[in-house]
Amino acid sequence: MKFFEPSRETWLHRANPALKLPLFVVLFVLTVLTHRIDASFYLACAFLLLLFCASGYPPWKTALLASGFALAFASASLTMILFGKGSEIWWSLGPVSISEESFYRGLHVGFRSIAFGSQGLLLVLTTSSTGLFYALMQRLKLSPKYAYSFMASIRLMPMALEELRIRRDALAVRGTGRGSFSLMRLPELYALPLLAQSIRRAQRTALAMEVKRFDTGKTRTYFYASPITWNDFAAFLLLAGTAAAALLLANGLPVFGLGDMRMDP
Amino acid sequence: MSGKGSPAASRRKGLTLTDVLVTVVVSLVLGVVYHVWASVSSIAGLLFVQSDELVYGMWFAASTLAFLLIRKPGVALIAEIAAAHLEIAFGSAYGIQLLLYSVVQGLAAELVFAAFRYRNTSAGVAGLAGVAAAAGSLLADIYYGYVAEYATWLIVLKYSLRAVSAFVIAGLLMYGLAKLLEKAGVTQSLRPVDRKEYDALDG
Repeated sequence: MKFFEPSRETWLHRANPALKLPLFVVLFVLTVLTHRIDASFYLACAFLLLLFCASGYPPWKTALLASGFALAFASASLTMILFGKGSEIWWSLGPVSISEESFYRGLHVGFRSIAFGSQGLLLVLTTSSTGLFYALMQRLKLSPKYAYSFMASIRLMPMALEELRIRRDALAVRGTGRGSFSLMRLPELYALPLLAQSIRRAQRTALAMEVKRFDTGKTRTYFYASPITWNDFAAFLLLAGTAAAALLLANGLPVFGLGDMRMDP
Repeated sequence: MSGKGSPAASRRKGLTLTDVLVTVVVSLVLGVVYHVWASVSSIAGLLFVQSDELVYGMWFAASTLAFLLIRKPGVALIAEIAAAHLEIAFGSAYGIQLLLYSVVQGLAAELVFAAFRYRNTSAGVAGLAGVAAAAGSLLADIYYGYVAEYATWLIVLKYSLRAVSAFVIAGLLMYGLAKLLEKAGVTQSLRPVDRKEYDALDG
């Protein structure tokens, strides 16, 4: 069984990607415009919970994928905690100064990064690339030449990786690409042949696609239908409800009770 | 290019499927490089505070390289979006913000090329486009990562390193790579054909 295959389908899987993508972009903007730590804390919790419930993957897989959030949390918050502006200094040494403001702002940035990650992973796990581009072509009038190019590129990816492997082996057999100057010769030894091959292959593929009329815009038919259904409404309610619940909890049951996290909002 | 082009010449003016697919594939190869580069970046980050910014310019390389190869309006933006799309297609959790970052950075680079009316393909202009993309990423960082709340010396250090890196890697290095590809003869069939060259055939 392949790793990226949901074990069950949820409303989010069945929703039309052309609606789902804008919905997630709105969620992203909403999270970016969140400046209170209580709100960001609850947004992170709510979307993490939704990720586990609605991604359609078994919990252990979701947990494995979400484990990267710990690193994102640390890298987002540490710089802010150590080097952020603030007046209530707790501890300082050389360029490092930890203040109360920068500490909580660091946590806030960390919570936001978990919220972003959960939303992003939820979108990625419930949407297939093919479904997304067929929906964008049919619902949002994306020109087929872009849609089919992007879809074709996913199929060309394994070939590029294969070529990288062959190139590495070939250089190893010839004994080149080692020694102290190998880093300087990296563009010539790897980037040039890989790019040249890929560009030529892309051109051949594109010419074949043009001949087969993949770029015709008007009055074309599609292999997959991409309808708007009640699932879209359900997905909208689910996402909007989660965001609203998080913001209501932040108002009614604040954990930190602090105001805007910026110095001069 | 004169107004009355032959059908073949006028057909090649806008972006064709070939242009788009080649642009996307250039980003794809750079996407492979990016995965290696992520570890280069974390090693570089061990030197001093924010030293990973020294190699940050690689993240803007797709747009300049694609433009230097194809030389048409729009490819810089498409190249950035394609690089972000690759991350989404292979399951990155941070796909949405990469997508929005890529739009801002791609548009910034595109603006520089547009300012030179898409005619100037020198190393300097490519470097400038890289710096513009870096400025675009600063704009996005202010909203996304609250970087305006860092200590002032840190902001200056971080973004001047990034600008220099963008100029060198996205500008000069990609210019060199484009020259190598030109020498290898890959680019001949990619670029728009001048009216002059058709006239040369007629004469």
